[in-house]
Amino acid sequence: MKRLCVAGLLLCAGSLFAVGARAQDQADLAKAGFKIYDNNCAQCHGDRLVGSGITFDLRRLKADERPRFENSVLNGKNQMPPWRNVLKPADLDAIWAYIRANANE
Amino acid sequence: MRDDKHTGFAILASILAAGISSAAFAQSAADLVNDNKNPKNVLTYGMGYNAQRYSTLKQVNRDTVKDLVPAWAYSMTDQTGLEAQPLVHDGIIYITNHNRTAAVDGVTGKEIWRVVHEYPPEVLRVVCCGIVNRGAAIYNGKIIRTTLDNTTVALDAKTGKEVWKTKADVDFNKGYSMTVAPLVANGVVVVGVAGAEFGIRGFLDGYDAETGAKLWRKHTIPAKGEKGSETWEGDSAETGGGSTWVTGSYDPELDLVFWGTGNPAPWNPRGRRGDNLHTNSILAFKPKTGDVVWASQTDPFDPFDHDGVNALVQADLTINGQVKKVVMQAHRDGYLYVLERATGAFLNVNKFVDMNWSSGWDAKSNRPILTEVSFKAIAGEKVEVWPSLSGGTNWHPMSYSPVENLLYINTFNLGMNYYAPPPEKAVAGQRTLHVELTPIKPEFQGHLKAVDPLTGKAKWEIPFKVANTAGTMNTAGGLVFTGQLTGEFIAVNSSDGKILWKFQTPSGIISQPVTWEKDGVQYVTVGSGIGGVYAMRTAAPDVAGVPTGSTLWTFKLHGK
Ligand code: HEC
Repeated sequence: MKRLCVAGLLLCAGSLFAVGARAQDQADLAKAGFKIYDNNCAQCHGDRLVGSGITFDLRRLKADERPRFENSVLNGKNQMPPWRNVLKPADLDAIWAYIRANANE
Repeated sequence: MRDDKHTGFAILASILAAGISSAAFAQSAADLVNDNKNPKNVLTYGMGYNAQRYSTLKQVNRDTVKDLVPAWAYSMTDQTGLEAQPLVHDGIIYITNHNRTAAVDGVTGKEIWRVVHEYPPEVLRVVCCGIVNRGAAIYNGKIIRTTLDNTTVALDAKTGKEVWKTKADVDFNKGYSMTVAPLVANGVVVVGVAGAEFGIRGFLDGYDAETGAKLWRKHTIPAKGEKGSETWEGDSAETGGGSTWVTGSYDPELDLVFWGTGNPAPWNPRGRRGDNLHTNSILAFKPKTGDVVWASQTDPFDPFDHDGVNALVQADLTINGQVKKVVMQAHRDGYLYVLERATGAFLNVNKFVDMNWSSGWDAKSNRPILTEVSFKAIAGEKVEVWPSLSGGTNWHPMSYSPVENLLYINTFNLGMNYYAPPPEKAVAGQRTLHVELTPIKPEFQGHLKAVDPLTGKAKWEIPFKVANTAGTMNTAGGLVFTGQLTGEFIAVNSSDGKILWKFQTPSGIISQPVTWEKDGVQYVTVGSGIGGVYAMRTAAPDVAGVPTGSTLWTFKLHGK
């Protein structure tokens, strides 16, 4: 029993650590995403994602809409310019993290 | 003097040419010169080469304006902002947005023709300030406009058929785009460029109005080794900004075009020490050659994006008992500059909004006197700055009443927290601001002010919770017309600031109203269609819920 407990604790501590690290990674990623967003997207989508409703509100994107996000950003849509070959996959990860950190749901 | 004669001759020549070739559809050089004296038409950006946006029409006046009703509305079939100033020739209206040019019967509202312009969608990556166009020029039966991809196109005014097309030889991937309404002066189409947020090197181009052939290019910023390049640190001039995105004005007697240049790039000043010539300057140049006769800088080494492209309005003002031919600019930096047109001398500089970055104008050195706020900002300390980067006013043009001797300006009341960290290297085509900003928004974010051109003081002002970003226009009927971001089109008593009339258009107004006449009836025309960077960015979320969709509205008195 004792052994199990210890093993469990270790397991537990280990996974806690992993979760903590992941949260920190996500926060760093979102911070990087803010910078990319502020430079390239805010002029149309609003300061800190808060727009006036003239352009699509990115906070509406749901957790499972990453493919939609990626498709629209890479290929563009009407007056949304395409960013293929300009933004790198890591940039998209960062913007997505930033949007998700501020999403409506 | 020689130049004056030369102009007179050129104008005479074009009158003769027009008389022979295209009498029915002449908007010759002479017609354009007389635009402000012929209130029936609106043939120039600014409603006259002097850009006063003043009309002598007075059927619609302080007494009758209560009977002003819509005659028709025309759909632009589009969701982007409608910023353009319409042109009117013989009752036909010409209107542009980012990808359409249309001719509309001004009496009935029926479309005559419409052209859709294609541009590569990638260019929108370097469009800083809204997916817009600011209007067209008209000359000898041609409607001439720019598109975002740095192309200038001339269309047959009767049919919309393309007559010529000229692409400026710059790469939009390096940050260049065009939204400007061209100015046709002395037979030359002058266009400017946007992109000082993306590290461009600004310029003006001159094209032959008949053929589109490029006649000249003038950079606003010197190349390496050229005179003035010593006012830039290292290679910073190469990406130094100095855009030219708002149409200037023209004095046919002097044969001089006046044009404002924009902010230095990047906004962060710490890697471009020096005066940064000729950013934030007023240039006076000969339209035939682009030769700059004088250049007067208002904001050397600007850290705040006080992008000096604002409208340049000409008037004859009495200063110390002497009548002076002046050009006036209500600048983003908060000062109202009055310069002599012939020499570029600063005659009068007064603030027209509250500011803290400067404490006055030093008439000896012809420079703004900087305060601690400016010195700290440049040194990389966090500061609160008034007015903000949005300016004491923004690009939307003011108007001048020669009767009231007042300027009607939609002003901003906005500040910002500002911090310029250690600078990064600017890269052309990449948005390179390198500053950290947060806006400060009081309850009332703007005013419509009637400003005395020689004191900067307001005779009257109307506060607005959301600042207006539309142009103003005024008439001999004693009215000022302008629009609100929430869609109200308003007429104001030009002498006391009372709102006399209001009409709710379907979207926000960010355009430039005009008035004109056909068969004895006065019409007033304005675009409705929210957009532009202010509405999308700074005014959000205060204008959340204002419907998009752009329409052109025309009004006349009931029963006319
Ligand atoms: C020039 C203005 C502009 C810029 C810059 C811009 N967008 Fe957009 N964006 C738009 C417009 C307009 C739409 C709405 C398109 C439509 O549905 O017609 C849009 C829509 C979107 C959508 C939703 C598309 C869909 O699937 O319905 C996403 C996601 C998006 N933008 C992300 C971004 C990101 C990320 C950036 C910065 C890298 C960015 N945008 C920069 C104008 C812009």
